[in-house]
Amino acid sequence: MAIALYLTYLLIPIALLLVGSFGARWTNTLLPEGFTTEWYVQVATDPSFRRAFTTSLTVAAGVAVTVLVTATPLAWALATGGGTLSRFALRLVALLPIAVPELVLAFGFVVVFSSDALPFLGSTWLLVMGVSVVTLPYMVQTLVADIRHLGLAALEQAAESLGASSWRRFVDIVLPSLRHSLLAGLMTVTALTIGEFQLANLVSGFLSRPFPVVLLQAFYGAAGFACAATVILLVLAVLASTGAALAARGTSRA
Amino acid sequence: MSVTFDNVTYRYGSAGGVSDVTLTVAPGELVAVIGASGSGKTTLLRLAAGFLDSQSGRVAIGGRDMAGVAPKERNLGVVFQSYALFPLMSAAENVAYPLRLRGIARAERMARAREMLGRVGLAEQAERLPGRLSGGQQQRVALARALVFRPAALLLDEPLSALDAAVRAELRDLIRRMQRESGAATLHVTHDQEEALSIADRVAVMQNGRLLQVADPHTLYDRPANRAVAAFVGHANLFPATIAAPGLIRTALGELRAETSGHQPGTRAVALIRPERVVPGAAEINRIAGEKAADRFLGSLRRIDLRVGPDTLLRIETASRAEFAEAHIPPESILLLPDEDTTP
Repeated sequence: MAIALYLTYLLIPIALLLVGSFGARWTNTLLPEGFTTEWYVQVATDPSFRRAFTTSLTVAAGVAVTVLVTATPLAWALATGGGTLSRFALRLVALLPIAVPELVLAFGFVVVFSSDALPFLGSTWLLVMGVSVVTLPYMVQTLVADIRHLGLAALEQAAESLGASSWRRFVDIVLPSLRHSLLAGLMTVTALTIGEFQLANLVSGFLSRPFPVVLLQAFYGAAGFACAATVILLVLAVLASTGAALAARGTSRA
Repeated sequence: MSVTFDNVTYRYGSAGGVSDVTLTVAPGELVAVIGASGSGKTTLLRLAAGFLDSQSGRVAIGGRDMAGVAPKERNLGVVFQSYALFPLMSAAENVAYPLRLRGIARAERMARAREMLGRVGLAEQAERLPGRLSGGQQQRVALARALVFRPAALLLDEPLSALDAAVRAELRDLIRRMQRESGAATLHVTHDQEEALSIADRVAVMQNGRLLQVADPHTLYDRPANRAVAAFVGHANLFPATIAAPGLIRTALGELRAETSGHQPGTRAVALIRPERVVPGAAEINRIAGEKAADRFLGSLRRIDLRVGPDTLLRIETASRAEFAEAHIPPESILLLPDEDTTP
């Protein structure tokens, strides 16, 4: 019952967006009238949307790489680290970005990076860094859970006793064991990155606005156009989420 | 090669660790280390493996000082309580892994791995993933993996603790056989004293990070060095005693005839009487009368507590099913231990 209600609230707006994106006219009626694919063509040919689409993909790729490279060692340290204090510190670092509102982080970025000393506000790489910080905890949590669940520390120690160097242990034991959770975490991070608005809205430059920021502008124009643009964003996010769900299923089976 | 601990100390912050441990495991020898949880036995193994570095003293393998030598360079076979098999590799690939790290070509290493699996009785299961093997089978694979590269020594960290009693007994014999065949010096950490007594050449008893006694199983059981060892290994009746005269001691059980050589009349000692050495039924000397406080049937034997005085219980183990209210202790079954209370 509860889940049906939940799905209704989740699905009805999405269904309306879909209907709206193919509707020719939609003003002061419950549902749009007529059928057209014109809105999609318009979105596809709109230069600012094309640029935003590319920016979003670039940012998503950049975030994926950054998170991938930083999350694995961080998660390893968290899951296997010795001292209580260092573990607490690491845990704090990993959780703070979730606890602190993105807006706070964004304002911080605005203050720091609009100065003459650090004039980087508006650059794509700054956005990549910001979104990486915000999404990193999701990846770290996934990995920590898996490292603990699989008893990877013991496996790594066993490999060490058998003569494996740290690189060989990472490649032969750690990476294969974590492949599902790495993939699942990566998909989650990508889905979050694609939909990220708060930070991007304040930090991105005019020519490096990602899709959701440009999308906001669309709602000042024709409803059908806005719907079509949103559906495109939705498809991207759903693709990433489905990938995450599939990868997560792989994790629980392994 | 031998494994040597020379005055080795490693303390964890507040409590635990090992202090001043000196112990040598000779090539081909199996030394079991027993002790309660937190006694330091696992720390000792981790020091040998190189997962910990001693704070003082020396750990040597084959005479070579291991200070600063990483675990991967020590060439030791380690078997863990949790098996620690690589879940994505088949049994054969697991066993072949250390050979792969040593640069042995695939065909040869897989052949050697399969041969090793055959020796631990798993020829049929070579292609299975660890998840498809029972606990006992997984530990067989782990043993094969630890021995396949002819390690300098073998370290067993509670290898049988996670297994059922029947499997445990079977694997005990396998470990002993494989260890003998390999000739590797073996340090076997366990909390199961029966396991230690049954397969070890020598048993080391640890308490609070110190070695209390290192001896062959018979000596350890029959002639424990002190009260703590007597209490830890097997069941024990321990009574404070005063030497009344040569050949006579005074205890809570009354005056008993016992071997007192080495003890002066008037001095104090602790009398050790193993429960299975107490004989049901009356006799001329060392006769004990009492009332049964508990009678536990354990299948092969009964464990009885005989109330001899208000605060005095005598534990008796016997195979006899007959009822009795009296028992006696043959004088040679009483061992006098020094009167130093080493238990904390």
